[in-house]
Parts: sequence; structure tokens; C-alpha cells
Amino acid sequence: MYKILLCARYLQTRYLAFVCIVSVMLGVATLIVVNAVMSGFSTKLKDRLHGILSDVVIDTERTDGFEVLDENGYPLTPEQMIVKIKSNEILRDRIQAITPTIETFAILQFRYRGTVIAKPVRLIGIDPQSRAAVGGFAEYLVRQKGSATPSFDLTAEAIQRHEWNRKQFEFQAASSLAQPTKMNIDDPNAVPPPNMEIDKGIPQPKPYGAIVGYAIAHFRYRDDKGQTVEEVALEEGDDVIITTAGGQELKPVWGSFLVTDYLKTEMSEYDQSFVFVPLDQLQRIRGMIGRATAFQIKLTNYERDKDIVTKELRTLFRNSPEVRIATWEEHQGPLLAAIDVERGILNLLLFMIVGVAGFSILAIFTMIVSEKYRDIGIMKSLGASNWGVLQIFIGYGLLLGTVGCALGTLMGVCITNNINEIEAVLSGLTGRAVFPRDVYYFKEIPTNIDSWTIILIDAGAVATAMLFSLIPAWHAASLHPVRALRFE
Amino acid sequence: MLMARDIWKTYRRDAVEVRVLNGLNLEVHTGEFLSIVGASGSGKSTLLHLLGVLDKPDSGEIILDGKRIDNLPSKERDRLRNRTFGYIFQFYHLLPELSTLDNVLMPAYVAHSFMNWWQTRRQWRKRAHELLEKVGLSLRIKHRPRELSGGEMQRAAIARALIMNPRVLLADEPTGNLDADSGRVIIQLLREINREEGVTIIMVTHNLDIVPMTDRVVRMCNGQITDDPGLLPSSSTAQLLITV
Repeated sequence: MYKILLCARYLQTRYLAFVCIVSVMLGVATLIVVNAVMSGFSTKLKDRLHGILSDVVIDTERTDGFEVLDENGYPLTPEQMIVKIKSNEILRDRIQAITPTIETFAILQFRYRGTVIAKPVRLIGIDPQSRAAVGGFAEYLVRQKGSATPSFDLTAEAIQRHEWNRKQFEFQAASSLAQPTKMNIDDPNAVPPPNMEIDKGIPQPKPYGAIVGYAIAHFRYRDDKGQTVEEVALEEGDDVIITTAGGQELKPVWGSFLVTDYLKTEMSEYDQSFVFVPLDQLQRIRGMIGRATAFQIKLTNYERDKDIVTKELRTLFRNSPEVRIATWEEHQGPLLAAIDVERGILNLLLFMIVGVAGFSILAIFTMIVSEKYRDIGIMKSLGASNWGVLQIFIGYGLLLGTVGCALGTLMGVCITNNINEIEAVLSGLTGRAVFPRDVYYFKEIPTNIDSWTIILIDAGAVATAMLFSLIPAWHAASLHPVRALRFE
Repeated sequence: MLMARDIWKTYRRDAVEVRVLNGLNLEVHTGEFLSIVGASGSGKSTLLHLLGVLDKPDSGEIILDGKRIDNLPSKERDRLRNRTFGYIFQFYHLLPELSTLDNVLMPAYVAHSFMNWWQTRRQWRKRAHELLEKVGLSLRIKHRPRELSGGEMQRAAIARALIMNPRVLLADEPTGNLDADSGRVIIQLLREINREEGVTIIMVTHNLDIVPMTDRVVRMCNGQITDDPGLLPSSSTAQLLITV
């Protein structure tokens, strides 16, 4: 009973204890906030990685796509391959949706303020509706956000803008023809000027839509005042030319598309490089009709079925080295591992804050014990055992740790829940964005409070507080009562 | 009742040795109010600590009711200090964070686990109130030690020493830090406790004025009892003091 009483009284009356509590509180709050933000970033990143990749991906290294043969030795089309996958007894109920895609590198060209811009991109040919069924696509579209039936169809405004662009270009071309450029006949590499007359009378090809990454179509820069300015470089209806390599042979092929929507995943890597075009059109451009380079599969229950599905798919494709089957986690393994390693190292470093709090507990407890020499002697003269005295000081450490953790948890959760408001205030005060949105393409700082993480942080902090109170507590317990009573 | 037989005690610090008790022998009778007098450094306080099992002799025996207690395991020694002996110190030694009531109750807190205390707290509080009333501190129950006078603190310390109904009170210079009037009040209180409750009291003191109020006085010199007339009437005690 006396241990509880003395711990409580020491906590109420010793102002030095307040320093220990504040140390633990700050350490715990910092760990909770940093973990919540790291976890928020990590979760958002994982969501994006998962969303774009779907649950299981089947792909091939071959540039001309899969060459899976049927019983007669004929290559299967993507549709036949889907039928083959879905007719498997094990896979049938475990696969919710499947879609074929072609993924390749390309160069995207477009005109911006009179100059031609060329960007390397990742070109993906999809069937928009089945791709949307797999997930991780429609929810990131800007105009067709969340649509169950997204498409590459052009809106009336987009067609109107395309017509206007075309007329503008024809007018400029006609003007340049009126004043023909003289060729430099001394230069054997000189390119002859464009002769628009050639195209006259030829019917215009059917325009195909393309969904481009938001960061490709929008340029961000800082103005003179340091403010981030976003300028639209590609509007809906604007022409883009995509040049890629042929499927059969590695010779350049190209196609013209009109921007019909943007992909905004808030993942700069994707938003800066992804361009989606209709699968059938890409098959035609690349000369690989009836072929695909990848299949995106959504499972009914990912956690439950991921292993059995990948195993069965490998069996189905006879473990062909040309066919690679992997879950989204295996696909992004190095990146996910890097996130975990980064988080682990950061936690280790931040736990040193709690370590510092532990050392302040050690220092303050040593002071308190030396102040309490006589009280320890009194307690022992009244019958308190060495173990009892040890328990008083360990209990005191436990109490300080617990109170510090409780306050730190409260503070950490409050900061995390209001981190965007705090960031706005800090940015206002300093005149500099603490969290520049243009770097991360996030509207706000993502946070994710995980109760298990909080429990682990609190348990670690309380254990540290107890551990560091052990040495002074042991010293107090081993004091000789007579020597303690005579201490002045 | 309580006996010290051939007690030797030496304090050591580094290479320096100070012999405090040299084969001391003493017998204390049940219900006796014994005072121990002697010069500073004669070993009075050390003897008190050894009798109350706060410390161990280098050799010799401390016997309580025929049973040796100096070599008991620490748990039993702790229990003896809590239940059998009550301590009164020169500097009161109250815990500054606690109220007068909590200081008086401290030995009871030590003796009980949380659950036991919860079940018996009312009877202990009642006893603490009775004791505080007896020592004249019933209006100072919630005061902290720093808010009490020296005499009041010593009376609170006496109440604390009595809370567990000890058989032996060990008082180390109980009036040493008090003025003459307060000192007299404390000794009268101890005498009253000795007579009414039959508590054996062993008091170490320098104050020869208060010694006539005790049953017996022994003198210590160089770590030994040099004058022990045995149990004497008060007049004989006064006579002995003339020689001290």
C-alpha cells in the first residue's frame, strides 16, 4: 500500500517529475506523428501501386506479346486466354475480373506555345471498361472519375477544340507555304519543308482518344513570388502523336490521338509517365492484332487466394519462362521493401528520442534518490523491505512513463488529426510551404493512425522509463538504513 | 525481555576502522523505561540500532524473549521493525510529502497490501485519530510536517511509533532538538505510554534533566556499559546521576 501512496505523492509533489513526463510525452508524440505520416504515405503509395497493378499480373518479356499455343499449335488470342483461365476450376470462383493490356515504352509529342514537346512515356493499351472492372483505374480519372463504364470517347467540346486546332494548323501551314522556305542545298542532311498540299483531299483518319497522366498535361513551375503555378499544356481535344516500336520488329511506328481525359493518381511517377490508349488501336499500330503483353487480374479475396491463384496460373502456363506471374506485392517488392526499411530505420532513429527521455529519467531519478536518502532510511526503519523500496522507485518510473505516454499519445493523435491545419498555420507564419503539394501531388498530408503502432510505441516508452529507473531504484533499495538515516 | 550479549561493532571506511562497541552486555526488562546516557561517540545510537535490528553486530547476540534476532533473515527483521519495535528519532524523520495522519499511518501502510488495507482502513484510521488525540495533534491531522513545530513533529513521530502497538519503543535523543518545555512534554508523554500501555522504552539521551523520569539509567563509555545499577526506584536513579 505504501508503494502506491508514495508513488502518487512523489508524482504530485516533485516538480522534477514533470520534466520526465514532458520528455516521455514529446518522444511518444513525435513517434506517433511521424509514424502516422509515414504510414499515411506508405498506405497511399501502396494503394496507388496496388490500384494501378491490380491483384495479380501476368506479363511477358516478349515485345510482341504472349505466344501461348492451343492444342493445335495455334497461338491463343487474349480472349481465348481469358476463357482458358476462367474455365479452370480452381481459378473460376477466385477471379473477379480480368483484362488484357499492352504495355510498352513510347514518346509522346504535342505542341505547346508553338513548340513541339516530346516526353518519354509508358504507353498502355487497355479496354477501358474491363480495365475499370479490375479496379485502380476509373477512380483516378479526372473527367470520368469513378465511372463504371469509362471510355476513350471524345466529348463535344473536345471535338470542337480538335476542329479548331486543325483549322489553326492548316492556316499556319498555308501561311508558311505562301512564303516557301528555301532549302539549303549545300547541306546533304537538310530536311525539306512540309508540303501540306500533299494531304489535301485525303480523308482525315478517325480520331482515337488517349488518357494522359495529369503531370504530362499540366506544367507546374514557381513564379517570381515563389508561388506554384499550374498551366494546362494539353486540353481535352488536343492532338498528341505517340511514337513507339512495332511489336514484331523493333522499327518505329506512330499514331495520332486526341486527349480525352487525365489520369490523376497523386503518384508523380505515374502521373508523369502513364498514357492510356485503346487496346485495339495500339494492337493495330504495333502490328500485333490479337495479342497482349499483360493481363491484370482482380481476385475475389486477395489475402485468401493470392498464393493458390498464382500457383495455379503457373501450372496453367506450364511454368513458361516467357510468362511471368506475380502478385502486385511481388511486382513492387523492392519498392515496398524499401518503404518498410525506411520506416524501420526512421523508427529506430526516432526511438532515440525516447532513449534521451530515458536518460533524463535516469538523471532525475538519481537526483531524487539522493534527495530521498533519509526517507528511504525512515521507510526501512518502519519495516519496508529492500524489495519494497525498489518497487517504489520502479513504480514511480512506471507511473511517469505511463502518464508521459498517455499525454504523448493524446498530443500525438491531436497533432496527427489536425496536421494539415497545423501545416497551414506554420506555412502562413514562415511564408514557406512546409508540405509542398506540387512535390507529392497530394492534396493534403496523408496520415494513418494504427492502434497497434501506438500500443508498441507506448509499451516501448513505458519499458524504457522503467528500465532507466531501475539503476537508481536498485541504488535506493541497497542503501543501508542506518547510513541513510544519518545522511544530511 | 531484550538482551544484548557480548556485542562488538566496528565501522569501516576505506582503511580507517572505528570500534564503536566493545563486547557490550545489556538486559532490558519488560515494561521498563530505560535511559542510556553517555558522551558523544560512546556508541549509544549504534546500540539502539542493533537492538532494533536496523543493523547487525559484528559479533555477539541480540535476544528477544529468548530468541536470537540479530541473525534473522531480512524479511523477518523487516517484520520485527514494523510490528515489534517503534522508533523515535532526534530529527523526527517524518516524510515531508505526507500529512500528519499519513505519517502516523505509514507503518500500517507498510504492513498491509492494497487489498488488506482497503478492508481494514477504517480501524487503522480510528486508531491513528485516537493516537493523534492522545499526543495533542487532533487538529493537525491534515498538516504537512513543515507546518508543524518541533514538539508537534516529535509528538507525531511518537504517534507513528505507537500505531502498530509495538512492544518496544526505541527513542534516539527524542528531546535533543527541542526546547526544555517541549522536551519535558515529550518525556511525560513517553512515561504515560510506558505506564498505561506497558510499552518497554529504551531512550538514548544527553539531557540529564529528563533522566530522573525513567526507571533505570545506564551509562556508556568506550562502547561498553560502565554503570548499570539494575532496576532501581526513581530516587536511586537520581543518586546514580550524581556520579554520571
